[in-house]
Amino acid sequence: MIPFSMRCPKCGLIQARNPTCKVCGTAVGQAGEAAPSSGAAAPAARRVEPAPAASPLPKRPAAPAPITAGADEARRLAFHGSGGTLLGIHTVNVLLTIVTLGIYSFWARVRTRGYLLSQTEFEGDRFAYHGTGRELFNGSLKAGLIFGLPVVLLNVAPELLGAGDAVKTAAALLIYCLFMVFLPFAMVGSRRYRLSRTSWRSIRFSFRGRVLDFVKLFIGGSLLSLVTLGAYYPIFDVRRYAFMISHSYFGNQKFEFDGQGRDLLWSYLAAVPLSLLTLGIYWFWFLAKKQRYLMDHTSFAAARFHSTVTGGALCLLYLMNFILLLATLGIAWPWVVARTTRFNYAYISLKGALDVAAIQQEAQTASATGEGLAGFLDLDLDLG
Amino acid sequence: MQTEWHGHYLDGRTALTHRAAIYLTESGLRISLESGRSFSWPYGEIRQTQGFYSGEQIRLERGGEIAEALLVSEQDFLVSLHQFAPKLAEHLHDPRWRGKRAPLILAAAAATIGIVAALYLWGIPALAAIAAARVPVSWEERLGEAVISHLAPEPARCTDPDRGRMIEKIMTTLTTPVSSSPYRFRVIIVDEPTVNALAAPGGPIVIFRGLLEKTQSAEEFAGVLAHEIQHILKRHSTRALFEHASTGLLIAAVAGDVSGIAAFGLETARTLGLLRYSRRSEEEADAEGMRLLLAAGVDPAGMIAFFETMEKKGGEAPALLSYLSTHPGAEQRIEKLRAIAQGARQKPIRLIPDYDWQEMKKICPAAPKKG
Repeated sequence: MIPFSMRCPKCGLIQARNPTCKVCGTAVGQAGEAAPSSGAAAPAARRVEPAPAASPLPKRPAAPAPITAGADEARRLAFHGSGGTLLGIHTVNVLLTIVTLGIYSFWARVRTRGYLLSQTEFEGDRFAYHGTGRELFNGSLKAGLIFGLPVVLLNVAPELLGAGDAVKTAAALLIYCLFMVFLPFAMVGSRRYRLSRTSWRSIRFSFRGRVLDFVKLFIGGSLLSLVTLGAYYPIFDVRRYAFMISHSYFGNQKFEFDGQGRDLLWSYLAAVPLSLLTLGIYWFWFLAKKQRYLMDHTSFAAARFHSTVTGGALCLLYLMNFILLLATLGIAWPWVVARTTRFNYAYISLKGALDVAAIQQEAQTASATGEGLAGFLDLDLDLG
Repeated sequence: MQTEWHGHYLDGRTALTHRAAIYLTESGLRISLESGRSFSWPYGEIRQTQGFYSGEQIRLERGGEIAEALLVSEQDFLVSLHQFAPKLAEHLHDPRWRGKRAPLILAAAAATIGIVAALYLWGIPALAAIAAARVPVSWEERLGEAVISHLAPEPARCTDPDRGRMIEKIMTTLTTPVSSSPYRFRVIIVDEPTVNALAAPGGPIVIFRGLLEKTQSAEEFAGVLAHEIQHILKRHSTRALFEHASTGLLIAAVAGDVSGIAAFGLETARTLGLLRYSRRSEEEADAEGMRLLLAAGVDPAGMIAFFETMEKKGGEAPALLSYLSTHPGAEQRIEKLRAIAQGARQKPIRLIPDYDWQEMKKICPAAPKKG
């Protein structure tokens, strides 16, 4: 096999074959020095590939190997999107949303998500988003009937009807209870919907956790955190993450999480006073530690995720994002999204054997009601 | 024209990619796999889900929910497709059209800015005025009760019966020209040093002790009351509720899905945006308040004198700032008031003759001095 990618001997970057490294410009020797082929270089190879006229099938150097050897190789996500294109999409979205009195916003969301996913690449292939505006619209309507209407009624009715204080207190309590039940419902529903509408190489992701289990976990964890004055919170946090990850699938293969909340307990208990002393700056270092811990304990089949993110890098990212948004009065928002996505992917890798041939399609159905609820509750969830 | 292309095929059942040769034919794409399998996709059954932007892989799908997919990296593939089968491939994206995208986006941006500005300057105020006019007075009254129970709780009110009657007398004179209005006005004095006054929806007017102490005559006090009465008559609070809500919706439409720091920034933008509306309300309450004074035959000099007092002391005491900050530039306000007052020809009545206004300032029982 002719190696179609190379690793620069100086900076170590894996890239398409070239006489010189595209980053540091170091002259690269012959094929013998090249590193084992990496999937990350595949799209570049594909694009430059000349089409032989005679042969019915291209003698292309190599497709991303179906069954990848090289268990030690780190696989990475790459983001190819640009802030400029995103701003263009957003501009048209805003216009249509206003003209349609907000109805288009659901289709707008689909366009933005579709762009972000299709610009995300893994092993030479892009992710795809399959959600539709109609689904989101219906989901939001249902969520509004189930959740929005009762909350608005409970909020407004006692005031307008001039009810007594007892009734008002009861209504406020009821609203709180509704939130406690609907919040976990929305988190699970939203994840179930989004994963079911996401694919890579046409294989859908799915989430198969039961809502009731998560509602129990959520309410129990919230109460315990309250009783222990927040000391239980890191354990609760990890348990929530564990639930979300360990019920996620790609095709018929499962994601696993083997972390324990108590591993983060002491870091958390130390981080709270340290953050107070450093005006919150220390919190980035705790956040980085948490992200590394969560990633390092997440696995898919025989491959394990790994994160090398640092507190300093996180701190710089947030600071720059803040400055960018402030200096441009928010217009830089698409660039902030792009650089944040790129940042996130830069520190995450997947190591270990990935048997692509073993992955079979096992798509699950999911309604968008939970997604609509998440919209009402202002939840911002991303795919883990 | 190139009629033979190369790409990858996904069967939708496994994650394996199959290399494929793609041939453009009269009726559709003929796809030939490495395994020797070969099949045709009629153009009408093909839909495109990716590849609308440069650098983005082209993804063609065929079939139901879980579709087969064909991935092609070269953008020119779509150009060839449109040249080969212009009618049948019409529904697929044409990269040659992308050049028109930039001017279209610029036009969309211009249109968006125009619409947002028009909505902000005229649309929202007009809609809020129309909506507020349709809110039943009884709702406004309940809302007002809720507001004053919060801002002017019962124990903090000054309820001296004799002085209260004097204030009622002033109110009766002031509201005679608007006696047909559905509102029941009443004045509540609150024992707080703040120099401020506010009109709750539905009729209650709250005057803080600090402001009362700054007035030098019944006519000055009447000027403040006239201003607040007009807030209630013009339903400014109710309009502000609608303006607050619709400005929020407009900002949400412009910003899309945001959270965190950005959401905080948006809340600031909203507050700044609403300032314009509150200034407009103040100007209206000034002008209409002055007209009410004239209609009731009250000496307009009182209102002007009080505004001048406020302007002069504006720089000194921070307590005064709260009254002036939401109010338009003091000098301009006084100029406008003078302009309206010049129309007055008749000789003004005296509001409560033979009453020493300094007495009125003792309406709140002196609090026991601490320490």
